[in-house]
Amino acid sequence: MGDTELELSPAQLEEDLQKSPSVSSTSTTSSFSLPSSPSSGLHHSDSPSTGDTLLTNSPTLDIITEGVSELSLVIDPEVARKACQEVLQKVKKQKGDPENPDASSDLVNGTAHTELGDGGGTKPPKIREEEEEPLPGSVKSAQRRQKNNSSKQSWLLRLFESKLFDISMAISYLYNSKEPGVQAYIGNRLFSFRHDDVDFYLPQLLNMYIHMDEDVGDAIKPYVVHRCRQSISFSLQCAWLLGAYSSDMHISTQRHSRGTKLRKLILSDELKPASHRARRELPPPTSHGLSDHGLSPSKRTHQRSKSDATVSISLSSNLKRTASNPKVENSQDEPVRLTPQREFIKSLMGIGKRLATLPTKEQKTLRLISELSLLNHKLPARVWLPTAAFDHHVVRVPHTQAVVLNSKDKAPYLIYVEVLECDNFETSSVPVRIPETRIRSTRSVENLPDCGVTAEQRTGSFYAVSNYDNDDEAWSVDDIGELQVELPEIHTNSCDNISQFSVDSITSQESKEPIYIAAGDIRRRLSEQLAHTPTTFRKDPEDPSAVALKEPWQEKVHRIREGSPYGHLPNWRLLSVIVKCGDDLRQELLAFQVLKQLQTIWEQERVPLWIKPYKILVISSDSGMIEPVVNAVSIHQVKKQSQLSLLDYFLQEHGSYNTEAFLTAQRNFVQSCAGYCLICYLLQVKDRHNGNILLDSEGHIIHIDFGFILSSSPRNLGFETSAFKLTSEFVDVMGGLDGDMFNYYKMLMLQGLIAARKHMDKVVQIVEIMQQGSQLPCFHGSSTIRNLKERFHMSLTEEQLQVLVEQMVDGSMRSITTKLYDGFQYLTNGIM
Amino acid sequence: MAQVEKKAGLLRRTSSKKPLKEKVVLMYDEIFAKDNPTKTNPHFWDELFLMKVNLEYLEAKLESLDGEEVMKIQDNINSLFHHCVQALGEEHQIKVVNALQTLCALFRGVHQKNKSASGFDIINMLMGFDKAEHRMKDLMESLNTLLCGESSDSLKSLCLKLLLCLVTVTDNISQNTILEYVMINSIFEAILQILSDVSSRRQHGYDAVVLLALLVNYRKYESVNPYIVKLSILDDEPTLDGMGMVVHQALTEYNRQYKDKEEENQGGFFSTLTSMVGSMFIADTDEKLSVQTNEAILLALYEAVHLNRNFITVLAQSHPEINMATTPAIAAPTTPTTPLGTTPPSLDMMNSTELPLDPNLQTSNLLITFLKYSSIVMQDTKDEHRLNSARLCLIILTCIAEDQYADAILHDDNMNFRVNLHRMPMRHRKKAADKNMPSRPLVCAVLDLMVEFIVTHMMKDFPMDLYLRCVQIIHKLICYQKRSRIRLHYTWRELWSALINLLKFLLSNETVLLAKHNIFHLALLVINLFNMFITYGDTFLPTPSSYDELYYEIVRMHQVFDNLHCMVLRVSTNTGQWKEPASKVTHALVNIRAIINHFNPKIESYAAVNHISQLSEDQVLEVVRSNYDTLTLKLQDGLDQFERYSEQPKEAAFFKELVRSISLNVRKNVSLNTLSQDILLKEFSSIS
Repeated sequence: MGDTELELSPAQLEEDLQKSPSVSSTSTTSSFSLPSSPSSGLHHSDSPSTGDTLLTNSPTLDIITEGVSELSLVIDPEVARKACQEVLQKVKKQKGDPENPDASSDLVNGTAHTELGDGGGTKPPKIREEEEEPLPGSVKSAQRRQKNNSSKQSWLLRLFESKLFDISMAISYLYNSKEPGVQAYIGNRLFSFRHDDVDFYLPQLLNMYIHMDEDVGDAIKPYVVHRCRQSISFSLQCAWLLGAYSSDMHISTQRHSRGTKLRKLILSDELKPASHRARRELPPPTSHGLSDHGLSPSKRTHQRSKSDATVSISLSSNLKRTASNPKVENSQDEPVRLTPQREFIKSLMGIGKRLATLPTKEQKTLRLISELSLLNHKLPARVWLPTAAFDHHVVRVPHTQAVVLNSKDKAPYLIYVEVLECDNFETSSVPVRIPETRIRSTRSVENLPDCGVTAEQRTGSFYAVSNYDNDDEAWSVDDIGELQVELPEIHTNSCDNISQFSVDSITSQESKEPIYIAAGDIRRRLSEQLAHTPTTFRKDPEDPSAVALKEPWQEKVHRIREGSPYGHLPNWRLLSVIVKCGDDLRQELLAFQVLKQLQTIWEQERVPLWIKPYKILVISSDSGMIEPVVNAVSIHQVKKQSQLSLLDYFLQEHGSYNTEAFLTAQRNFVQSCAGYCLICYLLQVKDRHNGNILLDSEGHIIHIDFGFILSSSPRNLGFETSAFKLTSEFVDVMGGLDGDMFNYYKMLMLQGLIAARKHMDKVVQIVEIMQQGSQLPCFHGSSTIRNLKERFHMSLTEEQLQVLVEQMVDGSMRSITTKLYDGFQYLTNGIM
Repeated sequence: MAQVEKKAGLLRRTSSKKPLKEKVVLMYDEIFAKDNPTKTNPHFWDELFLMKVNLEYLEAKLESLDGEEVMKIQDNINSLFHHCVQALGEEHQIKVVNALQTLCALFRGVHQKNKSASGFDIINMLMGFDKAEHRMKDLMESLNTLLCGESSDSLKSLCLKLLLCLVTVTDNISQNTILEYVMINSIFEAILQILSDVSSRRQHGYDAVVLLALLVNYRKYESVNPYIVKLSILDDEPTLDGMGMVVHQALTEYNRQYKDKEEENQGGFFSTLTSMVGSMFIADTDEKLSVQTNEAILLALYEAVHLNRNFITVLAQSHPEINMATTPAIAAPTTPTTPLGTTPPSLDMMNSTELPLDPNLQTSNLLITFLKYSSIVMQDTKDEHRLNSARLCLIILTCIAEDQYADAILHDDNMNFRVNLHRMPMRHRKKAADKNMPSRPLVCAVLDLMVEFIVTHMMKDFPMDLYLRCVQIIHKLICYQKRSRIRLHYTWRELWSALINLLKFLLSNETVLLAKHNIFHLALLVINLFNMFITYGDTFLPTPSSYDELYYEIVRMHQVFDNLHCMVLRVSTNTGQWKEPASKVTHALVNIRAIINHFNPKIESYAAVNHISQLSEDQVLEVVRSNYDTLTLKLQDGLDQFERYSEQPKEAAFFKELVRSISLNVRKNVSLNTLSQDILLKEFSSIS
């Protein structure tokens, strides 16, 4: 509906961007989402200068600008405006979802502004302050800003308007600027960024909200509230992070209560799009952000608001219709918007807590399986795994696949979760439960389309070969029909690589002549088949996870799909997650962010370093979830199970030295090794024993467990003084000290360091903001950030850097402490 | 009549000191008089149900009637029945209780007297032909309401007792014509509801499950029994789980009692010899009693496994090991009571995920408990009851082994358990150190159980039927493994040597056994198991060396196979009833003989060349390994085919007898229980 208004001049849009903070002064929460819709600019064409002049050229601002001055200096205002319009259009496209009433609601906001602008004065906000969640800060700051209004252009503004102004800069200015006007502006500008981009900085935003002064908080809050109204998962994410990052404070502090208050507000579930709170006589199913402009509902004759309402109504009735099963309606009901997911997470954490009380791994595993089988009774439900990249509903936990991970006193565990992908987990209806035993009828159906092409399929299809015809009791008629369709295909493709007996035993019944077979063939097939099956790890009750993790992911997915009553559904997916209970994952999250940032930087600078940031979900200061790295086992497990050196293991897994597969694996190894060496150096990652380094099926190494980074190291024994871990085994895999690959490794490191240096600010910023108010051991001492910056060696020339890299590699290789540390780990924890 | 008087008199003397007859007895007498009792007292029926029931008197009175007398007072009895049914709808709980008990007495008394009478006569006597349908409909509806409604636990329990009493009044359940009405007016849904709700299941689950098992067996083979149909399509998970839980608890309780007793006995062993002998004797009789009570539960388990495909999942549903004494731990009414068929909202269910937190609890499931139970029952099959129980256990295992899904569970590599099977203490083997046993897939426990059975039951009174079932179960499991290419890490050697020993036993007791059994059938099954290993070993054996070991074992024990071959050759050349089956065995032996004839000379020459008199196992294996290629085997047909289990007609007689014995047992126990309802009556009187 806002399409026509797009023709507005970009300038007006710009102004609107800046106008919005002041809008928030008049209508508390309406400010958010304004920039996200082009239509919102409509009503501001007559107030051209307000926004532009908002940001006075205070000296502090100029200083900040210098850091990025090379960017802002060259920006032509016209170009910037165009760019901004592009952004807005993009945003609009993203929000183009017809069900999303954003556009219209924004428009309504706009309406409200004009009205207010005409004669609004400052009275109405006060009323609202009493009525609903007040945002006193925004009122104040906006007032302040209004005082500062002047029509001067500033470099800063130009920067802000430019397309180069990205979320990273926004965060940086939000953090560094002491100017409320700038903060408020950025707070509004947040609405124009892609959700994903902002989500990356969510920990920073919330940490600032909790620990920094009021102005920053007030600038951030509207955005957070807005997003919370939109999304359940965002709400929960915020609530969890707020809880986790508030935990380091004294209970008594006032600021503490700000974070907690917001958390309570979110968890109280009052921030929902369709509110039943009778605070306004608005049509109940109005969308988010509508509530704010209603100070004079009688005046609201704008026809858009009506259409808005009808849209929402039809939307909600839509929901009702799809809600065919009682569960859906239940979870769709207002009071339980967040509850199912919270309960789901709670029960997962509860399991972890209870497992921790059991003495042996075996008992833990059994208990885990039985607990999860109980959990299964409650599924499907409107719950999801927050670590996943797509919307889905959890339908089943294949409980027998779950494993307890190696840990001394805690009980982290890994579960696989079957989900059904859906368009939107909030609105799509929850799948209907299918009883476990339905597998038998569905399995055959599922086999049909891609019958028996893969090796794993064999097992599935062979179910049918013999005896099924006697089985008419257990198989329904259609099952048999389908199986018979399947049969010929099985025959054709089963002959090539498996023993033909199962087929023979059928065919031989027809031919009366005796068939002779050689005993030697049977024996040979047996040993061949065992040799051909990919090396699996032995079962070890002390290390139950090794076997589960060694199994290739695709095979596991296939196997579980075969066994699942939901497996036949096309939108079936398998996810996995590690549930950690009793561990603080905030440092892991920080490490993830840094890794992700560096990954992006290297990608951007085209440095072929390979790292694998794995997703972290912080639920509280002592619990969370981790997205497991698939197809990877720890080097410890590799060595213990294979009893080979790393190089020999590579040869065994990938083939001999000059094969394509080996070379690829070796290259992967080198690229990942270089990447992680840099990470380890920059972040000072410690506790690098082989249990914390994974090796994936393609040869990459992946470092896990960032429990000791920056200023903290385990027990401060003085081990691991080298820059990073580089054992001679690693060098062997790279082809030795003189090999080309080793030189490539060093070259990669240098390139990576140069690239990282170029974008140092983006990396440091992440860490710096999180240091606010944090008691995490990685921020211990006062020089954490300074030291971090120093490790980027901004002052060195590239030649000097090269020397540095050489030194670090040499030093690490010779480092006696690495070996000592491995020995120490072997003695104390049995890690090889 | 005189006898009745005497009984009443006795009662008077023992139960009450009153010189006069109880009022209720007088009222009973009035019923048994020819006149309509309401003539003298219009409120007769109202008053009657306010009186405490005197079951003995009423039953005795009914028993004492002969045909003619019955005809005379039939109206009054019909009327009593009618008013009983009416009273069930009363608000006054005392009346309901009394009516239920009176009905119990009526059913029982009438049947006691007329054991030979046809079902129709009995129906006529109780209700009158013309009204029977109507009355029974009312009765069943009332019971349904009581069972499904909010009535008190004791009332529900009494309803179930009445139903159990009704179901078991005849020795042969299929001759109980009244049950025809129970078929028409189904109480299946009420039973389900009891089982699906946690609290009611704890109170009445056992009775409900037994009742269901019995009802399913009513005219099972002759007509369409709606209970069979309904049970087979039941797919409500909470209900199936509930059923599984009841069975699980009953079996667990038995296992626990057995274990306690065993420990007691061991203590006795060290104290004195005499006390040991004494306690063992007592223990023995006690055990037999508890086995009997469990046959009903076993039957229920069988029916569920056999009829209902969905029940298989319940078998592997994990529970923490339930200790009967501490049931309140799980008793917290976590699941809210919801009307049948509606799924409780996911939200509520989320809250009830927590299991009792006790690290000592061993996780278990119905299958494990059942295997343990079977291992106890199978230890001693000498008396009829235990033999039947063991047979039923094996039948259930047969059904399980045939089910694809159950097989998948059994072989699931991720579901490892440590199953402590009970092993018969025997002189020549030391008590296995079970403690260090690794946890393995459940199928290993099943195979262990089968091996254990094979090894321990080679006796003169040879349980041929059980052996056949046992070997067939193994065969079915191996067929599954072959089909699904599951390489189970199991010590197959134990199975091979057990089977060879079995053959040896058959050979040495040929004459004795042949008099009673077709030993060739069993021998054929055993040989075919070997043939499975020989020809399809590549598809399911865990390692190449296990295939070598198979050959080693065959070659090592070649004498047994040689003797068997001689024997079957001899029998098959003679004419006689065994000619055919024996010649089948001869054919089946082809490959084994080929192996023996191939490797024996090789081994001998190896020994000769190397001047070794006794070859070590490794040396033999070496010879085996290096001589495969010159050996040709014949492919045999249908090794992986098996006859599927079907209850009819083969097992029908067994189940008929089993149900009869269960009926007797249940009747006995119900009567005891019903009479001890005094407490319950007091409870009601104090409430109202």
